[in-house]
Amino acid sequence: MLHAVGALESGACKYVLISYGHSARSGDSMLRMLSDMTGDEAIYGHFGAAGGYALAARRAMHEFNTGPDSWKHIAVGQRAWANLNPQAMMYDSRLTDEGYMTAKWLIEPFRLFDNCLISDGGRACIITSVERARDLKHPLVTIMGLGQHNPSGDLQKADYLAGPTGARIAGEAAFSMAGIARDDIDACQIYDCFTYTVEITLQDYGYFEPSGGKDWFMGGTIEPGGRMPVNTSGGLLSEAYHMGLTPLTEGVMQLMGRCGPRQLGPETNTKTPEIMLCSDNGGILQTHACYILRRI
Amino acid sequence: MNVKDKYAIVGVGYTPQGKLPERTTLSFHLEACANAIKDAGLSREDVDGLICYRHFPPSTGEQDVSPYLVAQHLGISPAYLFQDAN
Repeated sequence: MLHAVGALESGACKYVLISYGHSARSGDSMLRMLSDMTGDEAIYGHFGAAGGYALAARRAMHEFNTGPDSWKHIAVGQRAWANLNPQAMMYDSRLTDEGYMTAKWLIEPFRLFDNCLISDGGRACIITSVERARDLKHPLVTIMGLGQHNPSGDLQKADYLAGPTGARIAGEAAFSMAGIARDDIDACQIYDCFTYTVEITLQDYGYFEPSGGKDWFMGGTIEPGGRMPVNTSGGLLSEAYHMGLTPLTEGVMQLMGRCGPRQLGPETNTKTPEIMLCSDNGGILQTHACYILRRI
Repeated sequence: MNVKDKYAIVGVGYTPQGKLPERTTLSFHLEACANAIKDAGLSREDVDGLICYRHFPPSTGEQDVSPYLVAQHLGISPAYLFQDAN
C-alpha cells in the first residue's frame, strides 16, 4: 500500500493495481517457502511459520495472562462471520467453544482452529486519487491514515515476542495521520495468520492492556452483533488466505456497503461503519502495516 | 508524509477460492486483476501501476510469477512495476 501511495504521490501513476494470487493449497509452493525459511534452529525441532508464532504465543502466555481461553473467542467469533459469507471456505462449518477446545494440537499452544487456512485463489484492488475516484461508480472509500513499522530481521533476534510488535508504532502513525482516536473505529480487519496475532495486534494498538485480552474478547465482542466487529469475512482463519489483501479488501467492501448477509449495519445488528482499521504483518511479527479507511 | 484522504480504493477483484488443483498462481493473479479493473469501471489501459503483493517460489510445474509476467498476460504495459517482498 505504501508503495502504491508513493507511486501515486510522485505522479508516476494514476491507477495502481495491487495483485495477489497463489496456488498455495494445491501446489507445493508453500512447503518450498517454509523449507527456505528453515535455519539452524531446525535441529532443535523449530521450523516454519507456525512454530515461530507458537513460540511467540507461548512467551505471551508466560508474560501476560493469555492462552486458549482468550483465543477461542477469536476463532469462534470469526467463524460466526464466515458462516454469513458464502465465499468463505468455512461457510458451512460451525465452530463452538467446545469444538475449538477439543480440536487436536497442531503445534502447542495452538490447536487446529488457531491456525489460518491455506487457500488457492487471488485478490486484487485498485488505488487512485480521490479526485479520480469521485468519477467512478462505487461509494468513496479513502485511505485516512497509514503507518508501517518493521522492528527486527528475524525471530531469533527479536525482543518483542510478547509485544510490542510493529503494530504499536505503525498504529500510532496511522492514527496520527487520520487525526482520530481508537474509539472512532467502527470495526477492524486484522491480519490473522493465527488467533494470537489478532490479540497481540489489538493489544499493541491499545484496545486493552496486556492481560486484558481475555475480558475484552469475552461476550461476543468481535462477533455479529458485537461492539467491535473483527474480521467480518471470516478472515484468514475462516474465509481464505490471501495474506493482507483478505483484511484490506474486506474493509473496503464493508465501507462500500457491498457485503450482503455479513454487511455491518442493521443486517448484523452492528453500527453501519464509517471508519475501519485494517492491518497486515509479515514474517513472525517482524513487519507491520496499519491502514485506516473511511467512507466519505 | 501526510496523505490523509488523498487516495481511495476504487475496485476489488475476487476469484474462486479454496481447493482448486487445476489452477495456477498466474491464473489467480490475472482473474483477480481483471475483476478489479472491471469492478472499478476502468479499462485495462487505465492501469499504469502494477504491484504484485508477496512472492513465493513457484509450485512444481508452474512458472515463477513476476509483475512483468502478469502485465504481459493482462495486455498492459504500466509505467511502474513492483514486486513486494515475500
